Formats: sequence, C-alpha cells, structure tokens
Amino acid sequence: MGNRGGENMILEEILKNRAGFEEKIRKLIGRPVLLIELDMFALPCGCSGITANMRGLEFDDLEVFEQQILPLVKEMAENLGVKPTVTFARLVPGSSIVASLNWRTLCPRCYPEFARGAGKMPRPDLYILMFERRK
Amino acid sequence: MKLFVPSPGHIDSLKELLTQKEKIYSIFMAGSPDYIGTGRSNLASPQLEDIKEQTEFAHKNGVKMELVLNSSCMGGRQLTPEGYRTNHWYVEKLVDIGIDSIVVADPYLVETISRDFDVDVVVSVLAFVDSPQKAEFFEDLGAKSIVIDSNVNRHFDVLHAIRDSVDCELKLLVNEGCLYRCPFRYAHFNFFSHAFGPEPRPNVLDDYYYLKCLELRIENPELIIKSPWIRPEDIKLYRDITDVYKIGGRTHFVDWILNCVNAYYNESYDGNLMDILDCPKDLKDLYNIPNKSLDGILEKQWTNCKKVCNKCGYCRTLTKKVTQVYSNGGTEHQMCLPWETGAVKT
Repeated sequence: MGNRGGENMILEEILKNRAGFEEKIRKLIGRPVLLIELDMFALPCGCSGITANMRGLEFDDLEVFEQQILPLVKEMAENLGVKPTVTFARLVPGSSIVASLNWRTLCPRCYPEFARGAGKMPRPDLYILMFERRK
Repeated sequence: MKLFVPSPGHIDSLKELLTQKEKIYSIFMAGSPDYIGTGRSNLASPQLEDIKEQTEFAHKNGVKMELVLNSSCMGGRQLTPEGYRTNHWYVEKLVDIGIDSIVVADPYLVETISRDFDVDVVVSVLAFVDSPQKAEFFEDLGAKSIVIDSNVNRHFDVLHAIRDSVDCELKLLVNEGCLYRCPFRYAHFNFFSHAFGPEPRPNVLDDYYYLKCLELRIENPELIIKSPWIRPEDIKLYRDITDVYKIGGRTHFVDWILNCVNAYYNESYDGNLMDILDCPKDLKDLYNIPNKSLDGILEKQWTNCKKVCNKCGYCRTLTKKVTQVYSNGGTEHQMCLPWETGAVKT
C-alpha cells in the first residue's frame, strides 16, 4: 500500500475490495445486496478496523451462510492489512436487518466487553462471526 | 407548467438553484425545527433572518417561496395553549417576512392558519389526500392548494374525481420513489416529525423504516417499478388534472435537484430513472433502469391498472426486462448486468 506512481494505493485497494466483497456476497446469497460504504476507522479508545455498511443483507443470511461468509471476511481483513480481534455484524435493534459488518482490532478497554461470556451475541444487536480470544 | 423545487435550506443553495430561475415557479424549504418541524429529514435549520434573506432573494428573482411545516405528529403540543401561542407567533413572523405559502399536514393547522393569516395554506402530501371526499374536507377548512397523496398518482379515476370535486389548486409530487401503499409511511413520517421537530428529539442510530424499505427493494426491484413516480415524459398525461408539479429532494445536492428540474421542465430524461427519484437514493448505485425504456408504459398499462398484482404480473415482467444491476461498482471493471442474473429470491 502507500503511494505508487502518483496513485493512492490504499484507496485503490479499498475500492477493489468493496466491489469484490459485494460481488462474492451477492453470488453466495443470490441477491444483489449493496455494500454501500466501506470504511477504515480508528476510535479514541484505541480500537481500529473496517466497517462495511450493508444494504439488503439479513440476519438469516449470516446464519445460513456463516461457514461460507467466514473465508470472505478473513480475506477482506488480510487484503486491507487488518488483524481483527473480533468480526461481527451489527443489526438494526429488534429487527433482522444487518446494518454493517465490522472487523475490529480491540483495545484493552473494549476487549472485555466482547470477551465476557461465550455466546454469539454479546449484545442483542451484535452477532459475532469470529473472535480471537486472548490466552 | 409550475414547478415547485426543493432547496436544502441555505442561501448558497438558493443562489445556485436560481441560476435557472426561468424554470422554477416556487422554491420550497423547511423552516426551523424548533417550532412545527417537518415530516421529512432536513439538512438545515434556517432561522427567521435566514428565511427573510432567502425569501427576499427569491422574490427579487421572480420566484415564490414556500415554507414546509408538515410535521405529521406534534405529540399534541399544537393543541396546548403554549404550543398554540408559539406556532401562531412563528407563522405570524413568516407571514411578515413575505412567505407566499405554508405547507402543513395537520388539519388543525390548515384551519387556524387559513383563518388567521393572509397566506396560502397548502395541504401536504403527508395529509394523505387520496379521495375527493378528503380533498373537499381540506378545501372547506381553507386550503388553497392540495398536494395529492402520491399513492394515487397512477389512479386516474381518483385523480379526475378529486379534480372535479374541488376548485383549489392541485399539486402532484412527481419523483417520490416510495413504496406503493407503503406500510411504513405513517410510522416513518411520525418518526421524522419528532427527529426533525422541536426538542426532545430521539437519538436514533439506524432508521429501521428506511433500511427495511431498501432491503425489500433489493430483494425485489419490482417494488421500484410499482412506486407511483411520474416520469418527465408522462407529465403530458396529467395536464387535464393539474399543471402544478412538485419535485421532492430537499436533502440532495443542488446539482441533483437541478438535474431533476431540467428533466421535468423539458419533459424528458435520457438516463437512469434512479437518478431522478428522491427516494431511495442509495439504490441508484445498485440499479440502472433506463428511463427511456419505460416510454409509453403509463399510457399503455398503468392508466388502466386495477392494482391486483398477483393476477396481472405486468410489472414483474417489465422489471425483468428493464432492470439492470451494477456489478464491480467503483472499479475499472464496472458493468451493468440484467437483474435476473444476480437474483434468486424475489
């Protein structure tokens, strides 16, 4: 990544990965879902990562295709050089709508919030796809 | 043709919009959310001095100014002595400024503003006037103009019946891409009314109604085809009902708004239909529906449509024929594919 030949390689990678991830999810679930915005973020607490804001993806899709989605999620993180502690979907509260997929490298303060308990839903609006538990 | 054109709400937008003033009859924009609020999302909160400056600028350019105060829910505040006084004070100030018309959704406001002020009262599309009886009711309350519920935009029998029942001006909202007979409509506008009305405002992270609306249309773009928008080319079929048209879109960039103005002014648009629909704007990056591929459909099919979709199937077939999906968007490999190639579930 970085600047190569006057072009911003980070942005180029993000554009390419946005389109690639969207295409793969579409093929998997058989519906033209939209990855409306792919962001890399840093939070004041020290967490950082990627957010994919989705349109048209449902909780059922995650449950049914979770095993097929996991490699795609891993691939995205690798492509963008992120090593997430947790990868999760955020749901619109009380509904089956997946608002976003999130790859987050957790800071020490936020880690316990996800690490407490062993369930897939540490909060009613969060569904964990992957979690790297510390030893 | 009289075109009512949205403004995002600040003077810079207005100045840009009025570079094409010869095509615009009236600008409309929301006022301050601190009084009556509006039933749709809003980008600005112009104070009285801003509204005054913009009204004077519009008038100097020969364009009228309409203020939209069409909250669909005020929580009963409007009926309290304090609410009545506050709203009355605000409307009085707007009238003093020289606003030409005020759009409201609440029948109580239609009656009181018509009675107490020298200003044209417009019944908002959010009052859901979809029958001659309702139109008569609002006219009797004092309305000078009614924006007809867009759900009946393709019910020509109802439109003609409304036209025959009242003498007041009728307006059609032409580019709203909302779901036909949307089940979220009342709840969504009530939510907006609180989110873009006086304090306390709900602090909502995700707009369920919007996201659910998008989800339904990603699953089934037939719901876009069935939305009651009116194409620029089809305006001619409405001339015996009205010549007053409202373009929705006050949360868009001026460039987008002017693109719509030109399309409707010229009664022609050669591009993606999604470009000119106010809602759902997120889906313009997903679907390409060439506007010209819909030439003649209104006249041939929808003017006589009985709206019994499970027995008809016309829109389903049309959707498959005209809808394309953008693939690899934002990259050098971007292309349009027929919707069916990527769809399993409908």
